[in-house]
Amino acid sequence: MSETFFGLEERILHTKDELAQREALLTSRGLTVPEGEELVLGLFDGEQLVATGALVRNVLQGIAVDMSHEGEGVAAAIVSSLIKRAVDRGITQIFLYTVSEDISRFENLGFSKVAAVPKGAALLEWGSAGIESYLSSLKALAEDKPDHAGAVVINCNPFTLGHRALIEYASSHVPWLYVLVVEEDRSLFPFRVRYRLVQEGVADLRNLTVMKGGPYIISSATFPTYFIRPDANEASQRAVRMHASLDVSIFRMHIAPALKVANRFVGTEPYCPTTSVYNEIMKIILQARETEAFGFDAKIPPVTVHEIPRFEIGGTPVSASKVRDMIREGNLSEVQKLVPKTTWDWLKSDEAVPVMERIRQSDSRH
Amino acid sequence: MRVLKSVTAGSLESSDVLVTIMPLSEDRIEYDIESIVIKQYGRRIRKVTEDMVEIAKITGARIHVQDRGALECTLRARLETAIERSIAC
Repeated sequence: MSETFFGLEERILHTKDELAQREALLTSRGLTVPEGEELVLGLFDGEQLVATGALVRNVLQGIAVDMSHEGEGVAAAIVSSLIKRAVDRGITQIFLYTVSEDISRFENLGFSKVAAVPKGAALLEWGSAGIESYLSSLKALAEDKPDHAGAVVINCNPFTLGHRALIEYASSHVPWLYVLVVEEDRSLFPFRVRYRLVQEGVADLRNLTVMKGGPYIISSATFPTYFIRPDANEASQRAVRMHASLDVSIFRMHIAPALKVANRFVGTEPYCPTTSVYNEIMKIILQARETEAFGFDAKIPPVTVHEIPRFEIGGTPVSASKVRDMIREGNLSEVQKLVPKTTWDWLKSDEAVPVMERIRQSDSRH
Repeated sequence: MRVLKSVTAGSLESSDVLVTIMPLSEDRIEYDIESIVIKQYGRRIRKVTEDMVEIAKITGARIHVQDRGALECTLRARLETAIERSIAC
């Protein structure tokens, strides 16, 4: 299928040659090739690629226009086409990644800024700010709760005694605790199950709210690389740092003030390099008193990061990835030692059968 | 007539308008109107949009209009196309 815009022909890029042209175009505009892309579009003037853009899940990225065609509405054409294709796939909450210098270009096309790292990456969303209505729902939730609350953001894939220890510690150190469960459904345990096991696993603690993480915390928009097995190469590490910075900025700038959160609790990360980079960046951005370098208002209060040593059993840190490894190896009696009764009961239930089977057959990081 | 699927018509190019219709679970219509000339034409754009939705008798939808300075005939054409697409099986 091909359409034309002012004599330019639109094509989906497949061939090596087309993708090489596109990489050159991105590089010439100071951009890198996004990871995990699903659809790459190009506009051609004859055989020359003059504009490109990609759709990765619900995020538009890698949008670049050749210098020779700047200012001709070519960017609008490519962005419109990507939106159309996303909507056709049933995606209606659409985000866009760009560099912070180019924010205003996309604001002119009806996007609004969610967060930006100065001289770095920026995340925008399509249409009138969805984050505003999300934040008002958070504010309503926090209205009758105390100030100086705490937060933990966890995936719980599945809920272990380690999570339990972290939440117990956090809830005893703050007047109220928000437990935000990563909502993106890309883990081996489905969100529905992860969420339920957290609720059941902390049901005896009175001063906390278990809630959905929503689209602005560790999601395919704020932190896509979290869900991909990271490469050791430099570009991939850079991408992890960039996404982690955006995710944490959104937390400090928007989510923490809405929930009146002044403390965030995390476990030390002995196994996963992505999470350990995330924790490191979190300590810098959430606690910074000099806020200018991070592009947010000096009035936004810092959030203290409490890094708690991983809960250990017999000298070994307890983690969900260990639990999944044990399931994979068929070592269920060991699993029982690492999870609370609520999780254990679920793992033995009929509902768990397909999930357990998927874990055995997968080598996914999540 | 209930809106069945998410659809778009038009584009974000200059002098065009991008109309997006998305199904809602409730029986109401939600409007989200944006325009680069909202001060001069915002009310007119809303009126045209509401009228066309009413004539088409659709319900259960969020109508998102992103105007880039389109003529009224363009806006009507885009709305008509989007509405047709949104109720087609």
